[in-house]
Amino acid sequence: MAENPDLPFIPARMLNEYVYCPRLGYLMWVQGEFAHSADTVDGKLKHRRVDKESRQRLPEAPDDEETIHARSVGLSSALLGITAKIDLVEGEGEVVRPVDYKRGKRPHVAGGVYAPERVQLCAQGLLLREHGFQVDEGFIYFVESRERVGVPFNGELIDETLAAIDGFRESASIGEIPPPLEDSPKCPRCSLVGICLPDEVRFLSHAGTEPRPIYPHTENGLPLYVQSPRAYVRKAGDTLVVEVEKEKVAAARYGETSQVVLFGNSSLTTPALHECLAREIPVTWLSYGGWFMGHTVGTGHRNVETRTVQYRASFDEEACLKLARRLVAGKIANSRTLLKRNWKGNVEEISPTLDALRRDLRNAFRMRTLDTLLGIEGTAAGRYFENFSGMFKRDENEKIPFDLTTRNRRPPRDPVNAMLSFAYAMLTREWTVTLAAVGLDPYRGFYHQARFGRPALSLDMMEPFRPLIADSTVLMAINNGEVQPDDFIHAAGSCNLSEKGRRSFIAAFERRMSQEVTHPIFRYRISYRRLFEVQARLLVRFLLGEIPNFPVFVTR
Amino acid sequence: MDHLYIVSYDISNAKRWRQLFKTMHGYGEWLQLSVFQCRLGRRRMIEMEAAIGDIVHHREDHVLILDLGPAENVKPHVHSIGKAFEPVRREAVIV
Ligand code: SF4
Repeated sequence: MAENPDLPFIPARMLNEYVYCPRLGYLMWVQGEFAHSADTVDGKLKHRRVDKESRQRLPEAPDDEETIHARSVGLSSALLGITAKIDLVEGEGEVVRPVDYKRGKRPHVAGGVYAPERVQLCAQGLLLREHGFQVDEGFIYFVESRERVGVPFNGELIDETLAAIDGFRESASIGEIPPPLEDSPKCPRCSLVGICLPDEVRFLSHAGTEPRPIYPHTENGLPLYVQSPRAYVRKAGDTLVVEVEKEKVAAARYGETSQVVLFGNSSLTTPALHECLAREIPVTWLSYGGWFMGHTVGTGHRNVETRTVQYRASFDEEACLKLARRLVAGKIANSRTLLKRNWKGNVEEISPTLDALRRDLRNAFRMRTLDTLLGIEGTAAGRYFENFSGMFKRDENEKIPFDLTTRNRRPPRDPVNAMLSFAYAMLTREWTVTLAAVGLDPYRGFYHQARFGRPALSLDMMEPFRPLIADSTVLMAINNGEVQPDDFIHAAGSCNLSEKGRRSFIAAFERRMSQEVTHPIFRYRISYRRLFEVQARLLVRFLLGEIPNFPVFVTR
Repeated sequence: MDHLYIVSYDISNAKRWRQLFKTMHGYGEWLQLSVFQCRLGRRRMIEMEAAIGDIVHHREDHVLILDLGPAENVKPHVHSIGKAFEPVRREAVIV
């Protein structure tokens, strides 16, 4: 039965997931993906309480030697290739029954139990048989309605169970992820919907129906930024408290925090850090000026398959070029759109530039090497930044508060360059966190070559978003007067945002990240923050060969 | 989709009261003596209910969770005399 002897035993609860949806089983067991949804949280909490309550009702020690009443029984079988932890085994002598606890009420279906639960229970029964017991039936105990439903282990169910074990082992050993379900009502309630992207993958792999907006609405938190140099972050119950000179200045709830961003020498206590690690909240460390220095995450992502396909593709020149072209074209297209939409002067002034950018965009697709592609990108960036100041609002005297003549960095020499550099650093951090969270390695890219300490994949992925997020935040901050000329510190030819200026700028950046856009391909509304995650997941789907092309995000 | 909730509690025992008070800070903003204002999605709501259930004594204490409706784009009808009532917003914390 087992074609791959190295394959570990399949846990019976994973078999349950596999029968519910083969892709779900694969994602959870083979790729080690896990995410909580309202339903799984509910299940976990209910199960915890049942364990407590039932202990009082059902005596632990059997009064009769013949009576078997064992909890959390762990069994495995090399022959079957499965393993299980059985909630309860009861019976007399050789005749026993496995009992499995399920949250909720007894469902109104034939037999009183859904197929995945039946199969899971039957797998437990088969394991008990392997170990010399006589097992003809099992029970599911429904916690909420306090009902026991019997499941007879007839030939039909046993066949179904063995077929599920075989099917699961087969797809795990050849490493082929089963396709998503088609327009299934199971998906909106599935905790892995955001990782699986069922409708999106179907839509992009063969013209399916338009994706349902399931993913954009799942819950997530917001970042906590600590940039005041004297700030001290500590844990207080379920909150992170920020103190400056022993005085509480802010608090953020752990349950609503997506990441902690620390600038310069602001500090975080070990208990606060431990809690972040336990809750999988990444902590990023930035220099005082906002340069990304690294980040702290827990034990890291378990999905090895994702990293394997990433590395494999990164050594394949054709694959790199294919992705790089799309990323560069996406960046040029989005720069062009930004310029077109925000141009403050006459249309005639800018239309030659817009035409030239359109040509650059087309050319990008023709480039045969990464070097020539880099050349096109440079040319387009030159055209775009030459006209950047033309998007600034003018006062009644036709004056603008800031100007940009050339793009310069390291160090930036004027306020606009300072803001652009800071915004790109923020974007790099945002992408690094997102990529690491989906199981990709931010340091191995396709377009940007690996260089020490440079998150090449983050730089790749952010290309199309430079104009959309970073540049547009700069425009917003200037045109709304959120940053003023006195929000900058000039020193030795360099220019940087002051602490106050930086705070306003971060707020503008966050507002932009929360803004919703209509997805040009999927048509649903989604915030940029969410979109980054979708793009990262789609990259994984592309690398795994599930979709033929990586859809770079381009605004209309 | 986030909803806005008012959680108010009547706890007979000082120790449990303090415990709940501390726990509630993980879910919302303290409004008045035994009243919190929370903005929660379905998953966080389930977590909060479980956390409250673990602390309170089911016969002696009483906790009310009032649902003011969807948090986004809906102005809750609240009459506030004295200080102003500001619904909790969800935004990044920047210090
Ligand atoms: S979202 Fe749907 S297709 Fe994807 S794993 Fe869940 S149930 Fe299966």
